[in-house]
Amino acid sequence: MDENEFAKIYGEYLRDESRQVGNAESIVFPKSEAEIISSVKEMFEKNIQITTQGARTGLAASAVPHNGHIINLSKMNKVTGARYDEKADRFFLTVQPGVLLSELRKYLANKSFIVHEWDDKSINAINYMEKAQWFYSTDPTETSASMGGIASCNASGAKSYRYGSARDHITGLRIVLADGDVLSIKRGQFIADDNIFSLITESGRVIKGELPKYKMPDVKKNTSGYFNMPGMDMIDLFIGSDGTLGIISEIEIELNKTQEVNWGVTIFMPDEDSAVDLVRALRHEIIIDNIDLQLNPSAIEFFSHNALNMLKNQQATNSAFSNIQEFKDSYHTAVYIEIESDSNDEVWAEIEKLGDIINALSGDEDNTWVAYNTINLEKLHDFRHACPECVNMQIDSIKKTDNRITKLGTDMSVPDNKLKDAMKMYNEGIEENNLNAVIFGHIGNNHLHVNIIPQNMDEYEKGKELFLIWAEKVAAMGGAVSAEHGVGKLKVPFLKKMYNKEEINEMRKLKKIFDSAQILNRGTIFEFEEDEK
Amino acid sequence: MKIIICIKQVPGTNEVKMDPITNTIIRENVEAIINPFDLYAIEEAVRIKEKTGSFVYGLSMGIPDATEMLREAISLRVDKGILMTDRKFAGADTLATSYALSKGIEKIGEYDLIICGKQATDGDTAQVGPSLANTLGIAYATDISKILEIKHNKMSCLKITDDGYEEISVLLPALITVVKEINMPRLPSIKSMKTAKKAEIEIVTFEEINADENRAGLKGSPTQVRKTFVPVHNVNNEMIEGTSEEKAQKLSEILLNLRTDVN
Repeated sequence: MDENEFAKIYGEYLRDESRQVGNAESIVFPKSEAEIISSVKEMFEKNIQITTQGARTGLAASAVPHNGHIINLSKMNKVTGARYDEKADRFFLTVQPGVLLSELRKYLANKSFIVHEWDDKSINAINYMEKAQWFYSTDPTETSASMGGIASCNASGAKSYRYGSARDHITGLRIVLADGDVLSIKRGQFIADDNIFSLITESGRVIKGELPKYKMPDVKKNTSGYFNMPGMDMIDLFIGSDGTLGIISEIEIELNKTQEVNWGVTIFMPDEDSAVDLVRALRHEIIIDNIDLQLNPSAIEFFSHNALNMLKNQQATNSAFSNIQEFKDSYHTAVYIEIESDSNDEVWAEIEKLGDIINALSGDEDNTWVAYNTINLEKLHDFRHACPECVNMQIDSIKKTDNRITKLGTDMSVPDNKLKDAMKMYNEGIEENNLNAVIFGHIGNNHLHVNIIPQNMDEYEKGKELFLIWAEKVAAMGGAVSAEHGVGKLKVPFLKKMYNKEEINEMRKLKKIFDSAQILNRGTIFEFEEDEK
Repeated sequence: MKIIICIKQVPGTNEVKMDPITNTIIRENVEAIINPFDLYAIEEAVRIKEKTGSFVYGLSMGIPDATEMLREAISLRVDKGILMTDRKFAGADTLATSYALSKGIEKIGEYDLIICGKQATDGDTAQVGPSLANTLGIAYATDISKILEIKHNKMSCLKITDDGYEEISVLLPALITVVKEINMPRLPSIKSMKTAKKAEIEIVTFEEINADENRAGLKGSPTQVRKTFVPVHNVNNEMIEGTSEEKAQKLSEILLNLRTDVN
């Protein structure tokens, strides 16, 4: 199909949440792995490039096609099986890549699955579900994200402070390779011998290769380029590979047991420094007033002064935000924590100590919101989610004046001891360039989303330049240029600040082992070889 | 000023499950919460207190576990919690509840204002507020969305109606019931929770209020619930799939068919 004609009919499939628009000539919506294989084989023979899509909620434009063919996996949306390891009390689900996070959560909350195509073992496993409530811990804000997308960009979310990222909960993958052959990998099955790996496909083909030499940053959250480590589990190479090595056709995820007690506390501090000190106390890096805080939050989140101001303005002027919780003008910066436990009393004992710490840090324990029931917890979640929503709404309205302007949000993380440096860098950069920006996000993992809200094209360009400068500085701090959104196509220039040309070439070499013609998600993570001059 | 808030504990869910045999609400594994409308009553009282230096009582009739709910009310800045709990109060309808609460209020003594939520989310009758005012013989106004002024022994406020607002003046002591438009309830803080954890909740038994047994509990309740059930919703969802154009085509066909059905 001609590109223009395609855009008319399938326009929505040329975009994702990054607000970038691409082009393509054809699209398929496979309902099974066999249908993926047949489509891939056809394209392989014709040497046509393929872009894989899930729910298109990604922020780095991985799913935006650059010519060629689209394989959209939204119709592969079944949970296909379950497994219970009784000895270890571990529970696993097998899902197709198009299952949405919101759908998965609904299945788990109701403990109800569509099982008529399941084998007996899977149906039996479900019976064990009755004994406890299980949940999937990866929690990106966007719940309409697909499981394939979550695996492809190694997504995480607020609770990653306690539970880690998607990688930590993926125990099996089926991957359709560029030539239509299939790799089935279970965690623990293929371990690299130092930097030499060897995999066997379903057709019996042996794929051997050498791992790159580059070192990944020492940060808690990272999805910047291919996972690489001597002696690594080879399943980790495919998680976070942004669809550049193969097409994920099935994922086995491990679930976690829900703890009965779930609290949230929003703490308003008088300035940014005391908020950061509070975070450090919560991470047990510093001890305040000899208070032995044992609290282990599952999430530690941050709202900058400007983020709170933005919420306050929207609350007063925009009816969509009039229901978010009111707060005093004197509240400067906020930290939000979530706590999971089996006992309310245990949590309360720690919260009492937390109150004393807040007071000692020149805060006031009365300037807090405590939520220990579902209704109030939802209010705190709404408050947290209002931040990105406010930003998106503002960007959408600015876009009406100039449609070249897109969202400018960072996704960088730094090592623990560089948190203060990174915050200083962000604040100075914003101030020096006289930009309007809000900072919020996963401060527990030193992973803040800085969102610049450009008022015009000039500010947009300034913001983009600033991001490149930050990427370089973050890399120098030993940080990661992408912590949870993936590199996609948008952050290709950022990755170059983190790895040198040779190291990027090593990634390209690795891709070619699995996709010699480079037809899969070309231009994602790094440029296509012939494009790069 | 002395302000009394009447508070009820209700199940914290919209999906009430009924026991098909006993026709009663299944309360196991359902979080118990403060009736959401009562939160607006609490917040309004606390706002008056912060302006005028009033004292706020939280009064409830319920099972002994409701002490925790009153503690929660204290964490929302209510000054004192009083729980009327006794087997003789059990099974009360709105009339017997109003009677019992009026006796509890008599025990508190003098007061200026009683604030109730517009209704409870489990019974939805909206009767207890007005009925309580009648039993006490004081003025009342329902569905209040704003308190305009409290001066001397007079209070003026806005009542929300189907057509707009009515400005109402009442002589104190009076009772008002409030709607959710009136304010945004605050959340507990660590400090207010510390206060609440230490607070003493006063327990009031049937004997202490010198009540008439024939007017309280099941005995004093002319209302008999013959049957309760959860309404069945027969909604069939159909997902329309395809490209935008295909979806629009299918949707228009469905809508056109609906019109034929009506004809």
